[in-house]
Amino acid sequence: MVIKPDTYLLTAALNRVIPPVGDLPGAGGMDLAEEVIKRSAADFRFQDALTRVLGALPSPNDFLALDDDGQDDALRTAESSHADAFGLWLDVVYTVYYMHPEVHQRLGWHGRSPQPEGNVMPPWDGSVLGVIRKRDPFWRKA
Amino acid sequence: MTTTEHNPDRTADVLIVGAGASGAAVAASLSEAGFDVVCIEQGHWQDSFKYPTADPDFEFKAMSSWSINPNKRRLPEDYPVNVEDSAVEPVMFNGVGGSTIMWVAHTPRLHPSDFRVKSQDGVADDWPISYEDLEPWYDLNDHVMGCSGISGDPANPPRSERPMPPIPIGRDGEMIAGAFDRLGWHWWPSDAYINSTRYGQGRDACNFCGHNMMGCYQRAKASTDLTYWPRAIDQGAELVTGARVREITTDSAGRATGVNYLDAEGNDRHRTARSVVMAANGIGTPRLLLLSDSKNHPAGLSNSSGLVGKNLMFHMFGGTSGVFPEHVEPWVGPVANIILSQEFYETDPDRGFLRGYTFQMSRGQGPGSIARGVAGHRVPWGENHHAVLERRFRNTLGLGPIGDDLPEEHNSVTLDERLTDSSGLPAPKITYRVSDNSRALLDHAITQGTKVLKEAGATEILVNPQSRETGWHLLGTARMGDDPERSVVDKNGQSHDIDNLFIVDGSVFVTGGAVNPTPTIQAIALRTADYITNNRGDLKA
Repeated sequence: MVIKPDTYLLTAALNRVIPPVGDLPGAGGMDLAEEVIKRSAADFRFQDALTRVLGALPSPNDFLALDDDGQDDALRTAESSHADAFGLWLDVVYTVYYMHPEVHQRLGWHGRSPQPEGNVMPPWDGSVLGVIRKRDPFWRKA
Repeated sequence: MTTTEHNPDRTADVLIVGAGASGAAVAASLSEAGFDVVCIEQGHWQDSFKYPTADPDFEFKAMSSWSINPNKRRLPEDYPVNVEDSAVEPVMFNGVGGSTIMWVAHTPRLHPSDFRVKSQDGVADDWPISYEDLEPWYDLNDHVMGCSGISGDPANPPRSERPMPPIPIGRDGEMIAGAFDRLGWHWWPSDAYINSTRYGQGRDACNFCGHNMMGCYQRAKASTDLTYWPRAIDQGAELVTGARVREITTDSAGRATGVNYLDAEGNDRHRTARSVVMAANGIGTPRLLLLSDSKNHPAGLSNSSGLVGKNLMFHMFGGTSGVFPEHVEPWVGPVANIILSQEFYETDPDRGFLRGYTFQMSRGQGPGSIARGVAGHRVPWGENHHAVLERRFRNTLGLGPIGDDLPEEHNSVTLDERLTDSSGLPAPKITYRVSDNSRALLDHAITQGTKVLKEAGATEILVNPQSRETGWHLLGTARMGDDPERSVVDKNGQSHDIDNLFIVDGSVFVTGGAVNPTPTIQAIALRTADYITNNRGDLKA
């Protein structure tokens, strides 16, 4: 169970992991900490990674007292000492961030689920085989 | 679709374990021939309209409840796999349709040389059958599953016209194909069990949604719950789902008599049958044979050779991705059914390794999966994050080799001493290491793949020396052969030890070839079914 102070710590960490860009605040400023916590709680692997990463950072007050470079150093230390957990935590953070409609809008991506709309299948153009069709068979007989 | 047990006290002619690629094909073929068929499957029917590709959080589900990796998915019908001593993690799906639910449906065939590796290259073993022996069943399977493609490929023997025209390769496919052309190297549009037009019952043409690994909402991608199973059930086959077989039972003479299984409520049940067909693929099948040890079969069933679980082969997979200066919109179109190249398929001793590989072009997916990593390269966190993500997101294409992985007895499936599944049955343990030959093969592929991508215009190359979570193809652990001391089943899939036990899945592969194996697995299954139909009337009531 992640307790409230960790939400502050997580929010601050998210802002360094995915910093502001364009008109968008950092991932923490987009209030994604709660979503990261909720998604992590549904899978013990993610929950464990979140717990380990937050546990490897300084206390919330100490982390928040650091400047940007200091927070990045603390994150790098956690990454170094808990590489697997940090990587899995990043996967969760990234996936949550890139599910957000405002992020899709900034990327210029349609942002919808792949189905049911799908995309348009282009026509088959047999002329693309013009060069390779001239090649003699070269499979090895047995 | 739901199924109920028909008179479970009867003795069926054929009991099949596993409702995936091969089990479905055997069920359809034998039920058509008038056999009384029952199949027991630990998973469930899928509703294509509930596949996660229609959900906004599909990218999250791809790494959790819809992961390709059973150790991550952890559904009750999955079994865990101990991979502590393996360089590759197996991936699979358990349900009606098996791993044809979560596959890319890329469907090339083995080459004639793949069946004669010992004769031609002096390593491994020859198969007891040839390409020509399998060809009629390849053709039949292409029609039942529905193959899009085009004949005339110079890297392969001539083959019949495909039932549907090829899946268009798109502008991105043309970029890579053009590079192969300029290098003077082979390429060809991929054969795919994906509809390029309407084909089969209730199955539309592909709508290029781009995420066909996670089940196909459009039902354009073939999976055996859509192809073989409706036929089999119409012909009277019985499919019991949510039921986990825990052992094959035998009589005092050592012949198979049926199976003991746990039903959907967890009750111990027994079904009797005149024959048993194993279709649980290269990990599930040896696991169950080993779980079925008894006084008559102390080393497990059909294991007088000691080779059950040995010679596990995956296909070595690694490769290269290219980042292009222009947008290629890689989320449009099938993930990996675009083009292939078999320029380096056959052995050339000058390359420093035996056998070869197929290049398979691949596309990207949504921004989340791109951020998590193209070719194993996670986008960095911090100040450079946005710049790197934007450079890769719309602009990345992959070229991965599927490399021949020669059999080695130390690569194996055994029963884990501690890990169990949700029913308390011992889980499989995988022991697997990458051979020197495979390493040299992958290194060659990375060099050549880099050359192709640069020729196509890529300005940045991302290299993955060897992917870990890529054990899609589970092969070799109950190999076929003429010699009972060197193989588990004969050329017809019949156990050397037990004449009413058959194996029809990837376990029977003698060598792995360098292509996706499902069409071969299904052709073998159909051939075995025809053998039973034509030669084993004694198994029919």
